[in-house]
Amino acid sequence: MLFPRHLNPTSLAPFAVLAAGLPAAAERPPVDHPEFAQDQVEYFEKEVRPLLAEHCFRCHGGTDSKGKVRVRSSLQLISRRGVVLGGDHGPAIDEARPGDSLLLKMISYSDPDHSMPPKGKLAPGEIETLTRWVEMGAPWSADDIDHLVEVEEDTTTTTINETTKNFWSNRPMARPEVPEVGGPAWAGNPIDAFIYAKLAGNGLEPNPEAGKETLARRAFYNLTGLAPAPEEVAAFVADRSPDAWTALVEELLARPQYGEKWARHWLDVVRYAESNGFERDAQKPFIWRYRDWVIDAFNDDKPYDQFVMEQLAGDELDQVTRESMIATGYHRLMQWDDEPADPLQHKYDVYDDIVRTTTEGFLGMTMGCARCHDHKGEPLPQTDYYRFMAFFHGITDMGKGKATVRRVADATDPEEAKAELAAREEEVADLTSRIAKIEEMAVARFAKSDPELRRQLAGRGVKLADPVLVADHRTRAQRWHYTTEKPRDGWSAVGFRAENEKWKTGVAPFGTQVPGERAKTPWRTGDIWLQATFQLTQVPPSLKLKAYHDEDVEIFLNGQKVAARTGHSTRYVDIPLGKEAAAALQTGRNVVAVHVRQTSGGQFFDMNLSADEGARRGADVARLIRSRGKEVFTAEQLKAYNGFVNRLAKAKAKPGPGAVEAMVVFERGVKVPPLHVHVRGNASTNGERVEPGFPEIFGGGEAVVPTPKPGQKTSGRRRALAEWIVRPDNRRTARVMVNRIWQYHFGRGICATSSDFGYLGTMPTHPELLDWLATEFVRRGWSIKEMHRLIMSSKTYRMSSRARQAALAKDPQNDLFWRFNMRRFSAEEIRDSTLAVTGELNLKRGGPSMYPELDEAVLATSSTKGGKWGKSPPEEQNRRSVYITIKRSLVPPELTSFDFGDTDAPCPVRFATTVPTQALNMLNSRFLNTRAAKFAERLRREAGAGPADQVRRGFELVASRPARDAEVAVALEMLKELQADHGLTADQALERFCLVALNLNEFIFLD
Amino acid sequence: MPTPRNTFCGRINRREAIRDIGGGFTSLALTGMLARDGFFPGAAQAASSNPLAPKPAMLPGKAKSVIFLFMYGGPSHIDTFDYKPKLYPLDGKTIDVKTFGRGGHKNQGRVVGPKWAFKPFGHCGKQVSELFPNVGECVDDIAFIHSMTADSPIHGSAMLMMNSGSLISGKPSLGSWINYGLGSSNENLPGYVVMLDKTGGPISGAKNWTSGYMPASYQGTVFRSQGDPILNLKHSGGMGAAEQRRLITSLNQLNSQHLAPRADNTDLSARIASYELAFKMQASAPEAIDVDSEPDHIKALYGLDGSNTDDFARKCILSRRLVERGVRFIQVYSGGAHNDDNWDAHGDLEDNHKKHAGNTDKPVAGLLKDLKQRGLLDETLVVWGGEFGRQPTAEYDNGTTGRDHNSYGFTMWMAGGGVQGGVSVGETDELGSRAEKDRFKVKNLHATILKLMGLDPDNLSYWYGGLDQKLVGVEGADPIHQIIA
Repeated sequence: MLFPRHLNPTSLAPFAVLAAGLPAAAERPPVDHPEFAQDQVEYFEKEVRPLLAEHCFRCHGGTDSKGKVRVRSSLQLISRRGVVLGGDHGPAIDEARPGDSLLLKMISYSDPDHSMPPKGKLAPGEIETLTRWVEMGAPWSADDIDHLVEVEEDTTTTTINETTKNFWSNRPMARPEVPEVGGPAWAGNPIDAFIYAKLAGNGLEPNPEAGKETLARRAFYNLTGLAPAPEEVAAFVADRSPDAWTALVEELLARPQYGEKWARHWLDVVRYAESNGFERDAQKPFIWRYRDWVIDAFNDDKPYDQFVMEQLAGDELDQVTRESMIATGYHRLMQWDDEPADPLQHKYDVYDDIVRTTTEGFLGMTMGCARCHDHKGEPLPQTDYYRFMAFFHGITDMGKGKATVRRVADATDPEEAKAELAAREEEVADLTSRIAKIEEMAVARFAKSDPELRRQLAGRGVKLADPVLVADHRTRAQRWHYTTEKPRDGWSAVGFRAENEKWKTGVAPFGTQVPGERAKTPWRTGDIWLQATFQLTQVPPSLKLKAYHDEDVEIFLNGQKVAARTGHSTRYVDIPLGKEAAAALQTGRNVVAVHVRQTSGGQFFDMNLSADEGARRGADVARLIRSRGKEVFTAEQLKAYNGFVNRLAKAKAKPGPGAVEAMVVFERGVKVPPLHVHVRGNASTNGERVEPGFPEIFGGGEAVVPTPKPGQKTSGRRRALAEWIVRPDNRRTARVMVNRIWQYHFGRGICATSSDFGYLGTMPTHPELLDWLATEFVRRGWSIKEMHRLIMSSKTYRMSSRARQAALAKDPQNDLFWRFNMRRFSAEEIRDSTLAVTGELNLKRGGPSMYPELDEAVLATSSTKGGKWGKSPPEEQNRRSVYITIKRSLVPPELTSFDFGDTDAPCPVRFATTVPTQALNMLNSRFLNTRAAKFAERLRREAGAGPADQVRRGFELVASRPARDAEVAVALEMLKELQADHGLTADQALERFCLVALNLNEFIFLD
Repeated sequence: MPTPRNTFCGRINRREAIRDIGGGFTSLALTGMLARDGFFPGAAQAASSNPLAPKPAMLPGKAKSVIFLFMYGGPSHIDTFDYKPKLYPLDGKTIDVKTFGRGGHKNQGRVVGPKWAFKPFGHCGKQVSELFPNVGECVDDIAFIHSMTADSPIHGSAMLMMNSGSLISGKPSLGSWINYGLGSSNENLPGYVVMLDKTGGPISGAKNWTSGYMPASYQGTVFRSQGDPILNLKHSGGMGAAEQRRLITSLNQLNSQHLAPRADNTDLSARIASYELAFKMQASAPEAIDVDSEPDHIKALYGLDGSNTDDFARKCILSRRLVERGVRFIQVYSGGAHNDDNWDAHGDLEDNHKKHAGNTDKPVAGLLKDLKQRGLLDETLVVWGGEFGRQPTAEYDNGTTGRDHNSYGFTMWMAGGGVQGGVSVGETDELGSRAEKDRFKVKNLHATILKLMGLDPDNLSYWYGGLDQKLVGVEGADPIHQIIA
């Protein structure tokens, strides 16, 4: 039951109570009770009250074992007034029709989601007692007939009023005056003026500027996540020109590694991952394009407002592009259960995930807390949550495999596109037949020369005992479940059991009589729905489908539509299946579901689905030619063959005129199903209906969604939301983003809780500076690179990180920014730096994610052999960490042990923990020791054979500064002893030094 | 909403709220606070440097460690500990019963009669099936909960629920909460150890022992009972201890030079210390797993005898050794991977349960007896059960003698650590199809475990996403008082 929130503009006190959605006891309305006879009251006292006390009071108005008042679901059953007023689900009794009372429904246990008491159904006698009592009109003793407990609720921050509207992050942004500061040095950049003024006001001095070597390393890591080469540091140190620093910043901003570094920050905020989680943890095909889109957006300095628009509504813009479509992959990043216990609830868990991520990420609001009730700490009523969810309510479900993958392209001339497509198809067909001919020739020649191979080749291609999964009647009798009544939704899903649904069974073919065939199971109505199952112990690489159909047919595999044909066939025809058909298969039970529609008689349907081993045999032969081709072909022939293979791969990879496959958002249509408030967050209990609208604390109001244009495929709601978010006067958008930018420069945001700008977050240390920066961000066209320039040109950014006792005593946490914060590197920076130091780092950009090799022990934690973890060639594995495959159930330990963000929840700030298992990883792992060996090779190569030179070069590379004598001495002493006392060769000893160098604090901490 | 205000919500200054609570909770809250506030590098960070520092309990609790014997796949309660005499004669008959399993919602099913006979054990006379003759001997130390319910009968989400209290992943697991709440009393070993079945991990793998939104330091460490127990415990190239000591000495010298002008940064000194700890761990972990050094009568007690019980026996002995060394939370999986590699008996119930019960009965009983004779059972809570139970009916209309999943009612048991022995709470209906009396949810089980460990389930919270998150959910949950001694 929801209470109106804007009813009483004249008096603030009751308004406050109503706004919190919680009338305290005194404010709950009075109730008129009928007169009860003495014997009725006695019946209540003797029979009913003890029952209520035993089973109900504790949660509904009584106190728990700790003496805490409990009022679950807003319901107090401790008085007749409480019973009549009821709770979230409505009045507990229906005075007019006692038989329909909610209380009786609850205790009847007829609806598993709404059954009370929770510990078990009451005894039949007890139910009878309560039923009789309700039928009497629920008599109660006069003593406590109106008694309700006071539920203390502090509404200071949860009420929408002038105070909460003026909270620092809820009020409109103002452009604060830049403070006047004494010296010109701290007046040049407004950031410095704000920082200096506050320091001075607290009797603190800012730190002096850091040394140039430190600054170079700081800038490189901050902007690119990689160390400068010693030569780059030397050049910067040598550059005495006044704009040396500015030039360095510009150069780094222009490097593609900048986007790779800063994209990862954003990927944390949107909990980017490339698989769905749960039992199958299936890959999200092509989702990496979203990652590349984010990288490109940073590199191209895409204005932040555009960045937001494309992610939320890239499909609804005036100018929809391939890139803006790819950006909508944002809506597909969440975890998704393909066999939830409660599908309806899970559907809303997914929307909830989007609401949380969007409100926390773009708006710094913890809207998710208002799913079940009004927010307990912020002025966010529950209706705000559902109004916000309504923006996304048109989005279709995730679906299996490539259900949400589409070819996306920039708008082009359709005729041109058609021609290009036809040409490509021709080329593919031509190349395929040439390759097949050559391979046939190879097989014949191999078979001649190598009888053993001949046997093997013959053995392939019949790998499965029976490749026929679903048989047509020519192969064997195939039994199907079928119905001619329209089945309920989800009839094609793998979890749908036709046998439990009163479907009939029959043997194929279905229908009447058609040329050459006669049906075995008669079907004469308009539609037929069929379901057959088969078991798989391993998933075949591809499938072949043949069907004889009259008329339109749709075929589903495990719930995914894999084929659809209109009209009728006059024989068994091949129906081509894409790769997604095989991808829909699973080991164990599989379901084929078919819908055939007939308009004018002549019904017929039969089909055959078999595992296509041809592809596997082809791959075997190709492998054979690769390894032993020289035995049967000349070098020229081989070259020609390889040329065809490469061309075919290229032709296939080019999916049309500029089009690529990408995982994108789409909606069911222009109409969005109605959305209601879910009482206590339960998706099956609807409260009031809501329309898309904005949080009341910001003025609220329903969103104005333009009437859909002809041909439009979505509701346009997300665009309305995105446009509201990027309004220059949005109270949160610019503040939140500029604070994140600050955080990733300085180690903490001006508001430290960067995804929570509410009452439950922390207050900003420099609110004026934050507002100044936010307005500046908008003024500079939402340019993120401009903000880097502004921040990095400040003296504040260039301060030393060293401690000064006086300052440390006054401000130990550096709340006022009297120094630069040291920081430990992220997991990615540690891994990338290690590869960079050895010279192995592969800077290849973009494309599908790679799989670094994982230890057997790590793979063994998966429930499937090898964890479905791929294999990448070594040079691919040496790519930057942003390109590592993010599989929810199997994140490489190199990432997790150094505090990589959890894949299931937005991560506004990474942890930086220190535990011994990290030391074990860095001392003992194969990865680090292989890098140490490569590092030693590099030192020998670049510094020659002298140990002192080798060690010096080593320190230079790991610390981006010249080596110091004291550390060189320590290293040389170690090298000597390792050889003298531990029997190592000079080369081995150098490898050990390299391992130590990669373990240095200086290597993974930044000044 | 008239839920009584919880401790902090609505207060402007959270720090004040936490001070109000005081006592042991402050240090707990501080960890969450620091985490929430981000990472302040600098002087005041000592509290967050070692998230696993031991912390005082919130409440008096008897248990110091938990051994969770996870029967992955869902063992059948009606063939093990929940005796249903009326079910035997119904074998093969199709009856009206509402079920919800892998095969969806059904109103009818073909009964698979229990495959094993039951007989009474111990002073309490508890009926236990022939599958567990050895565990049967321990029933006077065991509290059975026959009325467990879970929110999902599907492995993926049900595993997450049993381990982290939620059908959705991303929440910290039970072991993480316990280590967050109490810290670890042995810094040479991880505080949260997971041992997997030799056939593989459970569905969702590491999500079952994740620390979710908490720091990674609280996640479970996978321990192998043979070979190297922990990933990277040994040098991948075979470097010996003396040589490694020499390297660490140089590393310390170099790190000290780096530290000198940055002495205020405790992260740097903590990392220097972590190498010493890692070095010690390399010595203490192999010692801890040296199960072969146990005397013969102990090996025999657990069934470490080269037979089918060998593998689980080794893990049970190892669990006891880890408990002795102060490890807080140990989870041992019986069953891994898919299908009949675990207790998921859809096909042939007899084969499946004979195998898995046969592999574990003696080792589990050995563990209970051994803990008891050493006086360790009082402070060690042993939990047995799976993510759900099984239906009295088969999944398919004909052919199979297996059972579908059942989250409406199933049995779990606990022993030691402040649990009463020889008691049974809750009941399922006479078919064993659903809990009817004293129904409990997974959160009640979790609350019981936390409470026995001295943690207050309603107040053990971690600040994340604008909410004081709790293992048992925001509304809190009651422990199962009936089984607490």
